[in-house]
Amino acid sequence: MSLWRLVKQSLGFYWITNLGVLLAVMVSTAILTGALVVGDSVRHSLRMMVEARLGKTQIALAPQNRFFTAGLANELADELNTETAPVLFVRGMITDSDDKRRANRIEALGVDSRFFTVGAAQNPFGNNTEQGLVLNEQLAAKLKVGVGDEVLLRIENPSVMSRDLPVSPDSDLSVAFRLEVTAVASEKDFGRFSLRANQVSPLNAFVPLGWIQKKLGRDEQANLLLVADSPEGNISPENADKAIKKRWQLADAGLKLRRLDEQDALEVRSRRIFIDESLSEAATRASDKAVGILTYFVNELCFGDKATPYSMVAAMGCSPDAGSIIPTEMRDDEIILNQWIADDLGAEVGDSIEIRYFSLSTMRKLQEQTASFRVHKILPMASLAVDPDLMPDFPGLADVDNCRDWDSSIPIDLDKIRQKDEEYWDKYHGAPKAFITLRAGRKMWANRYGNLTGVRYPMGAISVPNLAENLLKTVNPSSVGLFFQPVRQRGIKAGGGSTDFGSLFLGLSMFLIIAALILTSLIFVFGVEKRSGQIGMLLAVGFSPKMIGRLLLIESGILAVLGATLGSIAALIYTKMMIYGLATAWQSAVAGSTIQFHANPTTLLVGALAAVIVSLIAIWLTLRKQVSRPARELLAGDPQWQFFTTMRFSKGRTGLAIAITAAIGAAVLLAILGTGDSSSVSAAFFGAGALLLIAGLGLTHALLKIVAGSWNRTIATLAGLGFLNSTRRSGRSLAVVGLLACGIFLVIAVGANRHDLLADAHRRDSGTGGFALFGQSSIGILHDLNSDTGRRSMSLDDPSLEEIQVVQLRVRDGDDASCFNLNRAQSPQLLAVQPEKLQERGSFTFTKVTEEAESKEAWNLLNRDLGHGIVPAVGDYATVIWALGKSIGDQLEYSDDKGNNFKLQIVGLLKNSILQGSLIIADDEFIRRFPSEEGYRMLLIECPQQKIDAVTDKLSFGLKDFGLDLTPAAQRLAEFGAVENTYLSIFQLLGGLGLILGSVGLGLVVLRNVLDRRGELAMLRAVGFDKKTLRKMIFHEHSGLMLGGLICGVVAALVAVGPALKSPGAQAASFSLILTIGAIGISGMIWIWIAANFALGGKMLEALRNE
Amino acid sequence: MLELVNVAKKYESPGDKQGLSVLKDISLKVESGRSLVIVGPSGSGKSTLLNIMGALDHPSSGQVLFDGRDLASMSEPELARIRNKEIGFVFQLHHLLPQCTMLENVLVPTLADKKRSSIKELRDRAVQLLQRVGLEKFILYRPGELSGGQRQRVAVVRALINNPKLLLADEPTGSLDKDSSENIADLLVELNRSEKVTLVVVTHSLNLAERMGWVMELSDGLLKDRSRQ
Repeated sequence: MSLWRLVKQSLGFYWITNLGVLLAVMVSTAILTGALVVGDSVRHSLRMMVEARLGKTQIALAPQNRFFTAGLANELADELNTETAPVLFVRGMITDSDDKRRANRIEALGVDSRFFTVGAAQNPFGNNTEQGLVLNEQLAAKLKVGVGDEVLLRIENPSVMSRDLPVSPDSDLSVAFRLEVTAVASEKDFGRFSLRANQVSPLNAFVPLGWIQKKLGRDEQANLLLVADSPEGNISPENADKAIKKRWQLADAGLKLRRLDEQDALEVRSRRIFIDESLSEAATRASDKAVGILTYFVNELCFGDKATPYSMVAAMGCSPDAGSIIPTEMRDDEIILNQWIADDLGAEVGDSIEIRYFSLSTMRKLQEQTASFRVHKILPMASLAVDPDLMPDFPGLADVDNCRDWDSSIPIDLDKIRQKDEEYWDKYHGAPKAFITLRAGRKMWANRYGNLTGVRYPMGAISVPNLAENLLKTVNPSSVGLFFQPVRQRGIKAGGGSTDFGSLFLGLSMFLIIAALILTSLIFVFGVEKRSGQIGMLLAVGFSPKMIGRLLLIESGILAVLGATLGSIAALIYTKMMIYGLATAWQSAVAGSTIQFHANPTTLLVGALAAVIVSLIAIWLTLRKQVSRPARELLAGDPQWQFFTTMRFSKGRTGLAIAITAAIGAAVLLAILGTGDSSSVSAAFFGAGALLLIAGLGLTHALLKIVAGSWNRTIATLAGLGFLNSTRRSGRSLAVVGLLACGIFLVIAVGANRHDLLADAHRRDSGTGGFALFGQSSIGILHDLNSDTGRRSMSLDDPSLEEIQVVQLRVRDGDDASCFNLNRAQSPQLLAVQPEKLQERGSFTFTKVTEEAESKEAWNLLNRDLGHGIVPAVGDYATVIWALGKSIGDQLEYSDDKGNNFKLQIVGLLKNSILQGSLIIADDEFIRRFPSEEGYRMLLIECPQQKIDAVTDKLSFGLKDFGLDLTPAAQRLAEFGAVENTYLSIFQLLGGLGLILGSVGLGLVVLRNVLDRRGELAMLRAVGFDKKTLRKMIFHEHSGLMLGGLICGVVAALVAVGPALKSPGAQAASFSLILTIGAIGISGMIWIWIAANFALGGKMLEALRNE
Repeated sequence: MLELVNVAKKYESPGDKQGLSVLKDISLKVESGRSLVIVGPSGSGKSTLLNIMGALDHPSSGQVLFDGRDLASMSEPELARIRNKEIGFVFQLHHLLPQCTMLENVLVPTLADKKRSSIKELRDRAVQLLQRVGLEKFILYRPGELSGGQRQRVAVVRALINNPKLLLADEPTGSLDKDSSENIADLLVELNRSEKVTLVVVTHSLNLAERMGWVMELSDGLLKDRSRQ
């Protein structure tokens, strides 16, 4: 005989009780470990998504609307000794052949075999490099097309020059092609390629690189470059940036060198027309004989009542020995005319000439400006003054034969064009008619895209190779947007910082786990209580309480380990059930993504270990009371009498003290915080509710003790007897009341927080901002849709659109920082708005703004000066707090188009808005930092409710070539709300399961209570009570406990969610709550009935005997 | 070997500030090898007195000296050691462990002793003792498979396994039929004679009381000597 043998015998003999303990531990383990494994699965799925998105891609060059040579990919592959892939990426839209189904905001990618090599996938194009169209699975499914089906692909037509410039034509923004689908690419085929760490799969259409280059007039060009990791594993943005510096060519910077034989000069020009500032500076410094040139298309030159329309004027640097027309002594307010225009205007030296021109403004609003100059000189036509090569290759202007064929967004009044103008164009083409100093020209025409249109060097001043070398060495590629980003690292970081679903599910399941643990300890302690005589005997024969405690803990430890082992297996089933739920009823919680089951053995071990530990703690907390009781009590055979006796004089002081303290605490909390801002009010009420719950339980405890100890009134009714009986085992009774009260509290608190965000959605201070429609387009809309001119330009001058008001936002693509993305957004999408537009409307509501600012003026905060390199930004509360883990005052680092870093500082948080997922900055700041982003790709549209459908139809049709997607703003808001409500649903379900377990606990307590008193109940039967009456008494006893639990829980919960019930849009869901509470009540009564019947069964009178 | 000096025991009582006196001024000296029976009506405090003697309870006042040592001055581990090595208990409800065999039940007290003898020695002693009480054929039976009298005999053997100096029996025949009671009474008397173990029995069985050498009656909290000289 040994202690181990005793333990083993006990485990085997009391197998029924031990089985109950084992099952309870199994349940708590399954839930605890299962929750952690859900977290593992989500993390694994996000990691898999990174692989699916990026393949072997380590870093990427994605200069946003800048093109470089596709050959750079080969150079870098050689330099870095790794695989690279050039891509030509444009946005677009696609419809099926019948135009019945449409997918807007698709990504069209021109690729070759290298793309699929980097993606570690098979090339679906096979040997076909000339044509073909491959859709990814998601796009094919959306269009319901397959291999062989015909589709219409419309893609943006990138302009050489930004379309925000007035001189840039606003036509031919997109081109369309009818193509046959040659393959559908799955994730394995790299169909899910995306550089953004977003949950939702992009809609990708792949075409051969050569084909798209040809169609867009971008031969040998690309605007995206992927680099795979090298065998040495040393690919980094820093190494790759150095490699670009070493291997890039002028064409990669968009520059071209040309010899001008007539002028005997070399000239540097940009494909983008305007030369980036960093390039122009380098070009100007390359030689002391360099002449900077800025040529512009002006509306007219005027002298008196005479005017010459639509002419080129060149601003040049002063360097006469370098061939510049501008003499050293010429002032910035002076002008040189060629003879032709001097004659046309009748102007002479000394006369004052006016130049009228359009300057760059937002939304392509043309503002005509005027500048006056004094004629410094008039140059004869047969001189350097006549130089057509000074005119840049303005698209729509330079490449036409006649003035009347000019295509520019500058409104050309054809009536103003005279025959002589046409003759000038025929003879001299775009030769500038006037010249001013470069400084004067820059003041008028320099823009965010550049401040020169050319740089010239006299032949011999510098050789072509030297000039090229000089430029390439001096300029940092990043200044022209050529810098690498660590996309893989970001993707892994995004997945690693994602919503911790393990902790989330653990939190959601907490009540269920607690219920299981309480059940575990209840069952175990009940078993021990049955063996109280044995424990007394062991004490009597010399066992110390410590030894006995150790024995019982060893027993429970073995049960816990076995239960945890089985629970770990059950956890896998639980996880699969949760994943199934996330794939079906709860799919909005994961934005429809597929979560793959993945169990990390370490997680299983940790979960099992944690379950064992908490189970043992729960058992020990309830067990220590049992083993500390005196032996004589335990040996007496009816310990409750001794227990009852010792409590004889209890006044329930402890419970009362707790109740009073907690109630005072609740009152103080409400007094201090109950009238502050909405978040502190909610927190105060919730805290007060929780304290009231504690107060209620304290009061219950006190009541039980007082009645048990000091009840002097004579009990004359069955109900009264039942009530008195419930005080006999105050610990058990309190456990039941506590479990039910906590469960009800949580269920109600959760239920009341299910928001109906659509109530009052039409209001401007609601989450929709008062907008009826939310629109996103593939291609930027250049014009102001609120102006007649703008609408006419877009062919939107339909009467049904007269009443609409549109707020247009620019978009800088980035990670989705909304609740739809499980990844932690690293570089959230940026939106740009003119703050006053939202401020005037009073759109949206701010939950919090930076200190010393008023919420009502919050939009104006976007214009606040926060210092150099810091840009104020506003975000939705959910985006900033949950998705990004930031708060007011926190900063995020961004890079602009030139690779310069700057910081975004959060100055305001929006409440539950349709702008969730992005950060919003002022339009001015956006234009300054991201000049390459053309037009507006997000629209917030206000229109009368009854006209929503008509407006939707008209706008969708009118802007279909821009790939406009319109969604009712309320619907978008509801979709965000659905995510939150889904989490609440999960919590309610798991909480409900916890309550069911709690009901089982109630049943066990009933059973135990009745079995304890079998002798007493048999005595009652002996004196004339029938079974039905006894059942009624037991029912009264325990339903009182159940009612107590419900009341405690309901009252506390209603206080906790008071603000939520009062706020507009809150969904009290009173019906479902009543249903839930009713279900709990019925469940409890069923368990009471079952337990009572079971306990009262059998031959009661045998209980009257000793054995 | 066991001496009670002015032992009293009081319990708190509602409405009575002085409390309920169960034992008042009990003085008693029990020499080694003697057998003492304490009789008295139900509720007279016999079990309370036995519990105090066996260090299962503390007196409200007075001293309990075991081999000259005051039990009140001992720590709980020391008291437990005394209960394990020096005292054997027999209860009215035998409190055998239903999950253990008879042999195992007898050996249970040996588990509390960290310095116990070899298992073989103990096992042999247990078997020997069980033989003495005629239960050698039942050593592998469980309590549920034996009669009440047989169980009580095992309880007695359990009380003797560690060779105690003092054997305390609280209503040892209270739950048994006449024949079983006789057997137990015979066993106790015989053990007192042969093992020289001091025996104190609490009972309201006159038959058992007549078999003991010394009879005392507990009444109104006081002990009166009723034995024949």
